[in-house]
Amino acid sequence: MAETYSDGTTTDGTGEGFLNDRTLKWVGVAGSALFTLVIAAFLAYIVVVQVNFALLVEVFQPQFVDALYTVLTVVVVGSVLSVTAGVIVGLARVSKTTFTRSVAKGYIEFFRGTPLLFQLAVVFFGIPALWPSGQFPFQNFAYPAAIIGLTLNHAAYIGEAIRGGIESVPDGQMEAARSLGMSYIQSMREVVLPQAWRNALAAIGNDQVILVKDTSLLTFIAVPELISFFRNVNSTNFDAWTPLLLVAIGYLAITVPMGMLVRYLEARADPAGRGDR
Amino acid sequence: MSDSAERTESESASTERDGQSAESARAAGTERPLLEFDEIDKYFGETHVLKNVSLDVPDGEVCVVIGPSGSGKSTLLRCANRLEEIQSGEIRLDGQSISAKDADINRLRQRIGMVFQSFNLFPHKTALENVALAPRKVKGMPKEKANERAADLLDRVGLSKQKGSYPNQLSGGQQQRVAIARALAMDPKVMLFDEVTSALDPELVGEVLGTMRDLADEGMTMMVVTHEMGFAREVGDRIVLMADGEIVESGEPKQFFENPETERGKRFLSRLL
Ligand SMILES: Nc1ncnc2c1ncn2[C@@H]1O[C@H](COP(=O)(O)OP(=O)(O)OP(=O)(O)O)[C@@H](O)[C@H]1O
Ligand SMILES: [Mg+2]
Repeated sequence: MAETYSDGTTTDGTGEGFLNDRTLKWVGVAGSALFTLVIAAFLAYIVVVQVNFALLVEVFQPQFVDALYTVLTVVVVGSVLSVTAGVIVGLARVSKTTFTRSVAKGYIEFFRGTPLLFQLAVVFFGIPALWPSGQFPFQNFAYPAAIIGLTLNHAAYIGEAIRGGIESVPDGQMEAARSLGMSYIQSMREVVLPQAWRNALAAIGNDQVILVKDTSLLTFIAVPELISFFRNVNSTNFDAWTPLLLVAIGYLAITVPMGMLVRYLEARADPAGRGDR
Repeated sequence: MSDSAERTESESASTERDGQSAESARAAGTERPLLEFDEIDKYFGETHVLKNVSLDVPDGEVCVVIGPSGSGKSTLLRCANRLEEIQSGEIRLDGQSISAKDADINRLRQRIGMVFQSFNLFPHKTALENVALAPRKVKGMPKEKANERAADLLDRVGLSKQKGSYPNQLSGGQQQRVAIARALAMDPKVMLFDEVTSALDPELVGEVLGTMRDLADEGMTMMVVTHEMGFAREVGDRIVLMADGEIVESGEPKQFFENPETERGKRFLSRLL
């Protein structure tokens, strides 16, 4: 493309000045090459010089595996619950009843407008404080608090994604379904939501990747996840890079397949091959 | 065609003989109009869009609604299956109120098919699934049976080869014929058509009008909003001219097109030429 245009007879905009289309392309390639080189050299240095392999093997099992398993469990449960709750929030957000709509709007405003860390603090410290001291019935409240906090928070984001998805389905779809005698619920379930879901999938996928990364905040309420793992190994062994390498691998091992899952779901939700529509 | 012509004759005859009309109408099988608009008013906010409109559509009639843009034609059709609420008056299907607060609208809508200008096919479903969906979900028809019927309906509108196609793989004319089949799948008593050929390329208009003509020939009661005057004239049993939210003239096509009674009618026709 770039060649055809800059080699062509066009007189302005492409062939003039220092940064024409052809040089831009080479600046891009050179920049990327330089970047790759620097990162590769840095990683090689870290892996060869900084990482202590004996320690790496030692902490891999059970500490690292346990931490990864904890993150995975929280992510799976949190995903299922937050997507489910998010669909409900999204439906409430487009309700024809002003009251329902306002409640959903308030919910979304609150959970998107305050930090997740604050919300976790409310659940983990605030809720047990409502009981007389020592009488809170849960022994290990960290996990339930983590799930509750992540679900409430991400349901707000997913609710917005679903709302956007529903609103981008033309009104004529609901009207056509209703005019056939289908109820509001049937029309939503069979006609509007499948399309809204397809429209919202990219945004939902984004949010779920953020949910994975948000589990790092759970170290604050003493859930033994990957950052807690790092802190333990780091403070007992005075080694930063060995646990850091494992932590990076741990997060990517979840987020990369998750991205692939979202793309698979997008393809499956688009049987007509409509591409971006 | 001859069928519907006969019907119109007997109707106009019965309205002339006012007093005994009920009797003779019953004999002709039209004791009451199938679809009745009874002094309805429709507002959008402050705008008065339908003004005290009354209209009776007898069983088997093809009622063609024409009129300038913004005159309320679409709104009239949309009120008939309650996609819009009316503020006063009543709309009845076979004597049952559609507009009443407590009307069982999902049940009534099954008997009123609607076809839209923009097709509104379900893009995530094949042609066959589009047609079979409502019978399955609303009537609880088993999948096999619903698919079989959907296939028959698609054959009927000339789309036997397109059953497995998604809407975006079909031409506008084909999509609109799927939409007609989809509406027919609920066995409606009345079909409403709102400018169903307006979004089509000119060369695709004919196939859709042809499908509608076949329906009319089979005796379907139809309300058709259209700009296709040829169709109005040939297939219509009655022409209803709307302007500014009112019905300003209503009559048989031949009479309306050759010798309109009202000033508005004359002006509307002169603008078409
Ligand atoms: N949803 C709406 N909200 C507010 N006003 C509306 C709405 N729909 C229609 N109207 C108004 O109602 C009037 C009648 O509209 P309608 O669509 O029924 O006209 P029409 O005869 O179908 O016109 P056209 O030939 O352009 O389709 C117009 O003045 C229009 O602006
Ligand atoms: Mg219209």
